[in-house]
Amino acid sequence: MSLFVRKQLPIIIASILGILMILAYFTTFDIFAQFKGIATSWVVIVSAVTVAMGFVYMTNAQIKMYQMNKTPLQLAYTLTTYVFFGAFMIAGLAYKGDVNSPEYQWWFQNIYGNVSATIYAVMYFTLASSAYRTFVISSIESEALVLGGMIYTLRQIPLFQVYMPWIVPLGEWFLLVPNVGGSRGAVIAAAFAALVVGIRTLWGKEVTLEVSS
Amino acid sequence: MALFVDVLGGLVGTFFIISVLSMLWKDNPIFRIGQQAIIGATMAHYILLNFKSALNNAVLPMLGGNLLLFVPLLLGVLMYTRLKNEIAWVARYPTGVLVGVGTGVMIAGTLRGQIIDQIKNTVLDLTNSAVSGNMTGIINTLLIAIGVVTAISFFTFTREHKGVLGISAKIGRIFLMISLGANWSGELVWYLTQLIGRLSWIINTVIKVMLLGG
Amino acid sequence: MSKDKPVTFWEKLGNIDYRWLYALSLVFTIIPILQPLGLPVQVSEPTIGYCDAINNLQPGSVVAVSFGSSLALLDEQEAQYLATWKILFQKHMKVIFYCTYADSALILQKHLGSKVKPEDYGYTYGEDYVWLGYAPLGEAGEASFAQNIRGVYPKDQFDTPLDEIPMMKNINDQSGIDLLIFTYTSCTDVEWPVRQWVVPYKKPTIVATLGCCGPMAAPYYPTQIQGFLSGSGMGTELEVYSGNPGPGAMMSDAKNLGILPFLLFFLLGNVSYLGKRYAGGKSKEVK
Repeated sequence: MSLFVRKQLPIIIASILGILMILAYFTTFDIFAQFKGIATSWVVIVSAVTVAMGFVYMTNAQIKMYQMNKTPLQLAYTLTTYVFFGAFMIAGLAYKGDVNSPEYQWWFQNIYGNVSATIYAVMYFTLASSAYRTFVISSIESEALVLGGMIYTLRQIPLFQVYMPWIVPLGEWFLLVPNVGGSRGAVIAAAFAALVVGIRTLWGKEVTLEVSS
Repeated sequence: MALFVDVLGGLVGTFFIISVLSMLWKDNPIFRIGQQAIIGATMAHYILLNFKSALNNAVLPMLGGNLLLFVPLLLGVLMYTRLKNEIAWVARYPTGVLVGVGTGVMIAGTLRGQIIDQIKNTVLDLTNSAVSGNMTGIINTLLIAIGVVTAISFFTFTREHKGVLGISAKIGRIFLMISLGANWSGELVWYLTQLIGRLSWIINTVIKVMLLGG
Repeated sequence: MSKDKPVTFWEKLGNIDYRWLYALSLVFTIIPILQPLGLPVQVSEPTIGYCDAINNLQPGSVVAVSFGSSLALLDEQEAQYLATWKILFQKHMKVIFYCTYADSALILQKHLGSKVKPEDYGYTYGEDYVWLGYAPLGEAGEASFAQNIRGVYPKDQFDTPLDEIPMMKNINDQSGIDLLIFTYTSCTDVEWPVRQWVVPYKKPTIVATLGCCGPMAAPYYPTQIQGFLSGSGMGTELEVYSGNPGPGAMMSDAKNLGILPFLLFFLLGNVSYLGKRYAGGKSKEVK
């Protein structure tokens, strides 16, 4: 297949679609709005269909992990992944109501819900222990970081709201004044960057689109 | 009186909570099993839900007469060609559609919503405060305006941060650090809430209700 | 820093075994779960804005709830959305629920009809509220929903075509919606409703998100979003402000003691740093 079909035509299609989306936004022609409605709903369908690629990549990763560490324990870990994958698929397909069935809910809430929630819980210890070492007042920037962090932390804890009532308006002030100043600046800067990357993408200049899969 | 299946679920859930928490002591097989279990579970869950969504939004309507929906279905299937090097280039077409639509939709809203409106609101807040004569409002909106300008100057990487730009970038860095501190604080309290939730589930739901019948 | 074992008092202070922090955190978190302290919560301005955005609507107004929460984050967001749903039903709003995240459909199923029962407020499914199910929307999907609801959700969660649902007969885009409530878990997602609902259609919008994402939603408040909830803390504030007690109270209560070990270690870390920096060679060896 020619280079035009393999590389350039997809970029041209991306550019045309992007420009049509922008025209739908900034013009009042109904045709563009209708096209935007169709295109955006199609994107949802494409996203839904491609999800099974994750299974392929997961299998690839599991094989690589086993190849790096060929032990019975690693094999057990890999098998665990597929056992639970199979169990959830069976629970989701075999019962009336599929993922809404009480059986699937049991699996989902007791296993997925608890493991995923606890992973976030473990992050508390990780964050707290790293803050113990690194959250020190060593420069003016770190002072600002600590001030913003600690004031807003104390503002969220009822104990300090009751026994240090001045922390409430101070914490809110930090959230709605200096935080807004910094965040808004970051939002605007990030928006400029996103605009530039977006325009480069539609222009066909964005290198990442040309990289082969 | 709790049902057997509820008690079993409670015990299974407690096992997995403790298996993940055991990682705090050191990496161990019990933690790894919990970790691998959720990888498999998440994959199955996403496949089930997304395929159901594709069925309802595309396959069934297509079979019902809306043949145009064959196009996004085909595009989705073509994405799988990236798994084979010889035909991986075909996947650029559905990728191009996703990127084009997503980028266009993003650009359209970004210019107005995140640049023009944000700058406008900063200026309007300042002028409205000045007109009203509210000293607290003037100070606050002035601080916000200074924070916005200096934070943007910090992200200017095409010139060296020297002189006026250097001072502005340093002030902007301070505002950004305050924002980062606030974000960090939100994360810390969020993770603490997650810990409270899991411990509370074990104590109040599993132990008190299911096992002790309280 | 020297790789040898810490020898000065300041170095020892900065090298306490992390597992003490872990153990103390666990103990101090469990205590208020077993014996609640019951301390009051102060309500913040963004929470008031969030609640008032709903209260200011006329009864019978249509509210779209873009529900993107996750079961993994139930503890952080449950108080927010349970209180929100109660307020919506108490104020007799017509509600369109739609799920944008894979878990969120299961949360709705678990909680809508058990923890918060629309029927208790005199609601009838299909006439007063509807649940459109799950679709992997993303920003493009939100744009599509705002423009053509049936393009993304041709049927509801129970496979009923939208044209057969009385409430949805005359609603097919944002023009039939009076308020958008956007629940999300990824911090930058706040830009999606701003770009796809607020800017093109000037739709009143409020958002509910995690604790770490609230500061990133603040720049859009109050001009582009009329209020926001950040974490379970603000969920508790909403419960208090609206008079709808829920799970947030226990969460906030347990934070009172749970945070103390962290604060202690944070102080110790800084005292250690300052001691090493300023005491320097004057520190005596501690045997």
